[in-house]
Amino acid sequence: MRHSSFKPEARWDKPPMPNDADRQNPDCINEQVQVLALFKSAKILPRLFIWKNRIYKIKRVTYNWQERFGRETVSFFSVSTGTDLYQISFNNTSYIWKIDKIIG
Amino acid sequence: MILHVDMDAFFASIEQAINPRLKGKPLIVGSRNSKMHTVVCAASYEAKAAGIDSGMASAEAFKICPGLEFVAAEQGKYIWTSRQIFKLLKGFGFEVLYASIDEFQMDIMGYPDPDSLAKRAQGRIYEEFGITASVGVAKNWLLSKLASKLNKPNGVTVLTSANLEEVLSRFPASKICGVGKNTALLLEGLGVKTCLDLYQKSAQFLEHNLGKYGLNLFISMHSTDSFDSLKGPDEPKSIGHSYTLPRAVSNPQFIRAWLRTLSEMVARRLRQDNWESIAVHLWLNGPEIGNFGAQKTFQQPINDGFEVYKRCLKIMAKLGPQTPLVRAFGVSCSGLSQTAYARPLFKEQKRRGDLLKALDSINSRFGDNSIYPAVITLAQ
Repeated sequence: MRHSSFKPEARWDKPPMPNDADRQNPDCINEQVQVLALFKSAKILPRLFIWKNRIYKIKRVTYNWQERFGRETVSFFSVSTGTDLYQISFNNTSYIWKIDKIIG
Repeated sequence: MILHVDMDAFFASIEQAINPRLKGKPLIVGSRNSKMHTVVCAASYEAKAAGIDSGMASAEAFKICPGLEFVAAEQGKYIWTSRQIFKLLKGFGFEVLYASIDEFQMDIMGYPDPDSLAKRAQGRIYEEFGITASVGVAKNWLLSKLASKLNKPNGVTVLTSANLEEVLSRFPASKICGVGKNTALLLEGLGVKTCLDLYQKSAQFLEHNLGKYGLNLFISMHSTDSFDSLKGPDEPKSIGHSYTLPRAVSNPQFIRAWLRTLSEMVARRLRQDNWESIAVHLWLNGPEIGNFGAQKTFQQPINDGFEVYKRCLKIMAKLGPQTPLVRAFGVSCSGLSQTAYARPLFKEQKRRGDLLKALDSINSRFGDNSIYPAVITLAQ
């Protein structure tokens, strides 16, 4: 059992193919949205987003995580409006918010 | 004393935390998006109760449980959560090591109340991520890992000298990490049925019947660990990647494109950690060839994906001129040594080295696979 040389990334033998994210998610929306968010104690707390001229009030952030894409870091949020669940993301380099997909 | 944290149905629990509607439902996380042509890489406890487990074909899982919920795996969130849990555990002030993406070990040598520490760790993980973990504490890594599996989900098991034998007597020897189906059958034939039977066997007995592995098993079961005693040279023996296709294929272009893809992935990891390899191992699985695996050692060490790929083709040539039906591939490199700088002798060698540097620097800056050999698109 090898411990200290373990990297969580190495567990994945799924090759990240070109355009993989889009290929894997047929439900991918990937559109820019406007977001009202609170940046507090090094945390980002999205409160509402505007998509296609409609306001979606966020009742709960169910989960959040970050991923690095080269030098860029993207923060992902799964957010509940009470009736529906969406995934939105914030690019920490370009400061662009996007709606990635409707989870359910 | 080692405290082993084993996350409960890790990927499935994260998906249930993301989408609370999936909580309490049988759920599988598939390695690919195509629901009926993938492999279960995680199952929720509700799915496990129906007889579904990791490694099963998703089509089989849906046969067992037609009402199953399905989510395609997205590695980023699991890796991030794993790293955050690792940081959180480090916050307790003990040395922490990864055992796998969803298992962590803490060296808590001398800590007076491991039970409360285990519960605090569980509580913090739940508070931060909304997912549960099972914890085992014992005198060494092997027994602590075993203990973490005895009371799942969300359980704590502390093995002390007072309860060790009683607890071990209640579980089959196959519960111990490393004792697979075949070893368990062999042991059963020798009258070793429970973990306690195995624990009580002598080093000579285990070595005689299981060889070097038996002796290692004895040492692992009886040692009193601190991480210092576990640390050997921190160098990987090999670096590899594998992939299973939804169905077997015989298209030579497609198969070669996959070999190139895996070779590039392996070579990129070699270069990231400054390794070179002299031995390439190719593994193929298919209905006609079964499990085919062969290794070839070369004189010149490499860390270029194209070179790894060429060596794979040489190994594959052993199968004959006809391309077989292939369902799964694996490419790994061993015989690793640290890259030593040597001024390239030939112009072409220098050109190739410069090209790899440029490709790596583009991929590091803009993200993996921002630039890649065109041939790997044939694998899509």
